[in-house]
Amino acid sequence: MHNIIRLVWFDLKHELRPPIWITMEWLTFTIQLGIYGALISQLVTGISDYQQFYAIGFVVMMTFDIGSHTGRHFVEHAHEGRLPYLLSLPISRSKLFLSIALQGGIELALMISVPLAITLALIGNFTFISVVGAIVTLFVLGFGVAGLMLGLSFIAFKSTDIYTAITVGLSSIIIRFSTVLYPLIFLPPSYVPVAILSPLTYGADLVRLFLGFDPTLLLDPIYAVAVLTALAVSTLGLGMLLLQRLVEGVKSA
Amino acid sequence: MYAVETQGLIKKYGKTQALKGLDFTVDPKEIMVLLGPNGSGKTTLLLILATILKPTSGAAQVMGLDVTKQPTKIRQILGISFQEARGFWRHKPAEILHFHAAICGVPKSERDAKIEEIMKDLELWEARNKLFMHLSGGQTKRLEVSKLLIQRPQFAIFDEPSSQVDLRGKRKIWGQIRKLRDEGSTILVATNEVREAEYLADRVTVLDQGKSVVCDTVRNLKDKIAGGDVVELQLEQGPNNTEELREELYKIEGTVNLLATGENQYRAHVSIAEAWVPKMTSLCYERKARLLSVRVTEPSLDDVFLHFTGKVLETATDA
Repeated sequence: MHNIIRLVWFDLKHELRPPIWITMEWLTFTIQLGIYGALISQLVTGISDYQQFYAIGFVVMMTFDIGSHTGRHFVEHAHEGRLPYLLSLPISRSKLFLSIALQGGIELALMISVPLAITLALIGNFTFISVVGAIVTLFVLGFGVAGLMLGLSFIAFKSTDIYTAITVGLSSIIIRFSTVLYPLIFLPPSYVPVAILSPLTYGADLVRLFLGFDPTLLLDPIYAVAVLTALAVSTLGLGMLLLQRLVEGVKSA
Repeated sequence: MYAVETQGLIKKYGKTQALKGLDFTVDPKEIMVLLGPNGSGKTTLLLILATILKPTSGAAQVMGLDVTKQPTKIRQILGISFQEARGFWRHKPAEILHFHAAICGVPKSERDAKIEEIMKDLELWEARNKLFMHLSGGQTKRLEVSKLLIQRPQFAIFDEPSSQVDLRGKRKIWGQIRKLRDEGSTILVATNEVREAEYLADRVTVLDQGKSVVCDTVRNLKDKIAGGDVVELQLEQGPNNTEELREELYKIEGTVNLLATGENQYRAHVSIAEAWVPKMTSLCYERKARLLSVRVTEPSLDDVFLHFTGKVLETATDA
């Protein structure tokens, strides 16, 4: 366990000294919610307080971005030549994978702490259980997305261009065709079949359910829990399997 | 038991075959140098032994442990210094070494002293708090080598340990590698630098196009080149310095060629000069021909490489 913590801290401390990137994310959220969220909520009439809806949606988008970043970070390591070094260290591949996932989890916690606090303050009406439920949902979603991107990162060993094209395209589809910014019942019928394939739909709706939004606007929470859990377990499992079986360092050495 | 043993090791990258059924051994506590041009399979072999790459087929053991079945155990007794140190742009040398020492199990009580000693010896101490991205090529190479010198693993792998380093730095690195061997580590060095190989090697394996061409001590490899040693003689002008003497010199065992290069001057191409010269001096003494000078030139490892592969080491192209 010591070595996992060492690996995580070795990288993470550079994100925190100084924590510019994290602060910028917080600032972006604050500006986006304070200006765009406030203005757009006056134009949206179908939802009682769209700014709150939007705030949760934005936190979910941030969660997706940070999860994706964990996968991209791994690819960057490979192309910067750090991966062969990590693979040569006297720790098992599963511990190395755990350290990557843990670092992603800590970054996620740091990044969304302030945006989530602002969102909770904006909503006002919450309980301890509802907050814990929302946080757990965000983490499960974050790990699922990180696992997905780590799984896809193996494409990058063959071609960075293909990897970039796939992840950018996938990100666009996953975010736009989801309920992050608008409820499923408001979507055009042709969008719905795609939206229910997006993990963000389940993440956003479950967080909103925990934080007291009208359940008639949201997906069945049982489905959401099942889909998010399945996503996290399957993609992280796949990522670990690929790291143990397939990852080699020579392409980047 | 060998410290390292491979049997029929094959590694393919798509259609390219980097290793073509390599059989290779390293004895415990020796410095084995892998000599070969770029693309000969040196780095691939090192990365397989370090369990970073997986062989396509064949087998490899490090200290009796199988590289595919017991990789984590191998990594606990092994350290590798890569050809290029990269990827720690925002870290400082001192913290990179502290991290490496800690994760490789160097006791906390010894870490500071060891890091300071090695950094000072390799002239990195002044740069210990610079960012990695601000180090020179030579400094990053020294840093890469320092990791292993601090870790002091049972089996140490160095991939071109002194490339990009100035001559003074090279000597220091080579001295440290030999010290590591003297303390009981088994060492595998890959290089295409002849001088490095000559300085470090207990034995040399010549690799070419993914195969081991020959393996022996530097001395024996040189001796295996028929006529590789060159002996230049100058005899005193006199009645005993005759054509008959020249013919007798030619008949000495190990003589491949004998040329007259001037008046009373000869150049002999011989197989083992250490054996040939005493016989030649005895002959001259018996024939009362006085020797004025003897100059022996032995073949370089470059000549060895040329002899066994038909290629010049420095200009060989990638496989």
